[in-house]
Amino acid sequence: MLGTSTTREAVSEAFARREPAGRRLAEDAERITRACRAMAERFHRGGKLIVFGNGGAGTDASHIAVEFMHPVIVGKRALPAMALGNDAATVSAVGARDGLAEVFAHQVRQWAGPADMALGVSPDGWCTSVLKGLETAHELGLFTMALLGAEGGAIARSTAVDHVLIAGSADPAVVKEIHVTMYHVLWELVHVFHARTRPDAQGGADGRG
Amino acid sequence: MGGADEAAEGMRRLYPFLRGPGEGTAGERAELEEQAVRSTVTKAGEILRLRAQVGEMHAERLAACARDMAGRFAAGGRLFTFGNGGSSTDAQEVATLHLRPRFGRPLPALALTSDVAVVTALSNDVGFDVVFARQIAALARPGDIAFGLSTSGGSANLVQAFEEARGRGLLTIGLAGYQGGRFAELAELDVLDHLFVIPSTSVHRIQEAQTTIYHVLWEVTQHLLDGPAAPVAGQVARPGAKAPADAGHE
Repeated sequence: MLGTSTTREAVSEAFARREPAGRRLAEDAERITRACRAMAERFHRGGKLIVFGNGGAGTDASHIAVEFMHPVIVGKRALPAMALGNDAATVSAVGARDGLAEVFAHQVRQWAGPADMALGVSPDGWCTSVLKGLETAHELGLFTMALLGAEGGAIARSTAVDHVLIAGSADPAVVKEIHVTMYHVLWELVHVFHARTRPDAQGGADGRG
Repeated sequence: MGGADEAAEGMRRLYPFLRGPGEGTAGERAELEEQAVRSTVTKAGEILRLRAQVGEMHAERLAACARDMAGRFAAGGRLFTFGNGGSSTDAQEVATLHLRPRFGRPLPALALTSDVAVVTALSNDVGFDVVFARQIAALARPGDIAFGLSTSGGSANLVQAFEEARGRGLLTIGLAGYQGGRFAELAELDVLDHLFVIPSTSVHRIQEAQTTIYHVLWEVTQHLLDGPAAPVAGQVARPGAKAPADAGHE
């Protein structure tokens, strides 16, 4: 029937629409590699990864944290990470009292240590709360990174962000799909570099935090 | 520092090609970086091919699944999503995507890991295998939708949830990887109405392809529900698609 085939065409068209962004991902291989080297070095110094995003990107933050905390590959060590959207009580408390723009910055201020890393996820790069979280992290001396999409928005242009990875699509759903591959690769390469950098230079600073 | 020694030994076993601690020479560092870049390019190619393969092999089934979901939503059905670990974050994404979409019609959806009190209470008092099934028993009505994500297809708590959902008349949708695991058996037994198996043995690539599966399902469901135009060229939502139960059916 016509309608049935139309629905099927919508499915095929949706898959086809994802290809260009998927192809562009390989172009970021060197940028991803550089980020991983910097992250591995921070983990070695006892740093932890603090991740945050809004809405769907908040679920990515949780995914990234669990990826590091509980590796899917047996034998890989756990590395300390936390997602700031997980504490709904604190998010709603800060949001209600200080405004939603402050929900991540507030938590970063309480949790950040000098060797830590902050990773913000924002599909369009315009999330104020993510930008403020990264700015606060930068002020506190953290290594700051962002996973973005579209044109990268205000976050890509911020001098507070050390390392930016932009998925090549303006569709937030496609951006998320590219982000998932990006952070899976980030996790894997962090382990490769982590295994190769000196594990015990300061005595016991093995990244477990 | 026994723990640190043990960890270092574990690393040596895990990466036999590495000679031990230390950064090595500048040449070795450059070689390591080159390997990392090549590995990233390879993985980007893998997911590109896998996504295209999944799009071809599941297109008909995805269209049929979206029609069923649209029909349930149009008749007042709600969506319950569940998964463990990384898949729980996907379940949460699916729920929030339906509940508070960027465009289109907001639809009732709940991720069954949202309530930590319920999850830990059930885990502590009864067992982890019932954490989703018990919530479905308590919250779901016939006409609702159960949507579970796993990479292995073997999670006991998802299997129990699907069995509970089937018994209560829910539409059951499962996502898995590898060969489908126990989900494949559930599909054979008609416990699962729709099963999407990602033909890969990499947990990471499976999750990445599953992300596309649920995004496409949501997008096409919105179309069938006659919501505002999604960014899909040439697709026109049909009048009358809001008719209960039959929405989306031709």
